[in-house]
Amino acid sequence: MNILALIVQYWPRLIAGLGLTVQITIISLILAGILGMVFGLLSVSKRKSLRAIALVYVDIVRGTPLLVQAFFIYFGIPAALGIQSDPVVSGVITLSLNAGGYLAEIVRGGIESISRGQMEAARSLGLPYGMAMRSVILPQAIRTMTPALINQCIITLKDTSLLSVIGVTELTQTGRLIIANNYQSFEVWAIVAMMYFIIIMILSKISKRIERKMSYGKSKN
Amino acid sequence: MGKVKIKNLKKSFGDLEVLKDINLEVKEREVICIIGASGSGKSTLLRCINALEDASSGTIEVDGNDITRADGNINKYRQDIGMVFQQFNLFPHMTVLKNISFAPVALKLKTKEEAEETALKLLRRVDLEEKANVYPEQLSGGQQQRVAIARALAMNPDVMLFDEPTSALDPEMVGEVLNVMKQLAKDGMTMIVVTHEMGFAREVADRVIFIDEGFIVEEGPPSEIFGNPKNQRTINFLNKVL
Repeated sequence: MNILALIVQYWPRLIAGLGLTVQITIISLILAGILGMVFGLLSVSKRKSLRAIALVYVDIVRGTPLLVQAFFIYFGIPAALGIQSDPVVSGVITLSLNAGGYLAEIVRGGIESISRGQMEAARSLGLPYGMAMRSVILPQAIRTMTPALINQCIITLKDTSLLSVIGVTELTQTGRLIIANNYQSFEVWAIVAMMYFIIIMILSKISKRIERKMSYGKSKN
Repeated sequence: MGKVKIKNLKKSFGDLEVLKDINLEVKEREVICIIGASGSGKSTLLRCINALEDASSGTIEVDGNDITRADGNINKYRQDIGMVFQQFNLFPHMTVLKNISFAPVALKLKTKEEAEETALKLLRRVDLEEKANVYPEQLSGGQQQRVAIARALAMNPDVMLFDEPTSALDPEMVGEVLNVMKQLAKDGMTMIVVTHEMGFAREVADRVIFIDEGFIVEEGPPSEIFGNPKNQRTINFLNKVL
């Protein structure tokens, strides 16, 4: 049919768009993971000043729309500094900072969900704080965090579509460009939506499997 | 010479003064039982001894090291102070063997092989050798607490602190844990035990300490505290629990 013909005709561009979407998602999530871990750990620190730093970061991320963050980073900061900015780089920075804020909250929640006795038991054996956190608290926290982490991955993947407004030719922007040529809005958006849908379904299937694998040695014995 | 020396210890949480002026000396191989009502400060006292709570003022010496001014050394000091918690606090993501051998290996005090060998020996001592490779959630409360005792012993501590070790247990499991502790006492471990088990205190303690409202109200050998208490508050407390 018409849609099939369209898919065949625009396949290379659609795949290129999807490829960029996936690449931006992966790179952003890796950077966001680092940010989330660092700020998540800061937010459970004993020191008030460190907690305050994490709080300000998370509040800024949560208190402003992603689109405004993208405009600020792509247009605002380069304008102030008088530099040229690259849409993909700006996009990655935006998504990293944004997802990093949410991940920090997930990390904080995960750590706080582990009973205080775990840290006390580890410290009472003479383990330093960092070692106790790394070997005792975080491995347990990551299990409780997993559903929220996967959810954030999916959100970030979908958020990449907002980067179309700063000219990143990811999947959504590719769709817009194709429609600008052929005016077949219904068909092209249907194709684009389906492509997102398939990728996200694959992701959630994988994540379900990971979640199941992560319950403590229950299958043993 | 005192193993644990506590002088003028005070501890407040905000405006609430929980420990008002505690002075206590525990000798090597001595078994001390601390009794008192809930909220009397007895658990707080125990937690101050390994700096899980920071003392507000006063000093706590363990083996000549002042815990309250440990600064960077607290991790080193804590290695010599074993602690057993009311809620066991075993690490759920580690097997029983790993729970016991983990800290000595992580702190590079032992190789993995040495630590596991010690762990197995300790498991034999608490009669749980066959549970080495299971996860804590597969154990009963009493078994978990015995593993927790083995885990603390794996650090080869000079003093063992017990914070109501049988309070979270079903009645039928209290005995197995107390028996391990009795054996430990017999083997000469210096022990400070916060407990509601008056029978245990009477039988095992060298000295019983009654704490009320942040003070040590009365102390002495169990025969005296239980047989002939002098302070009216001790008498009232014992009347309630015995």
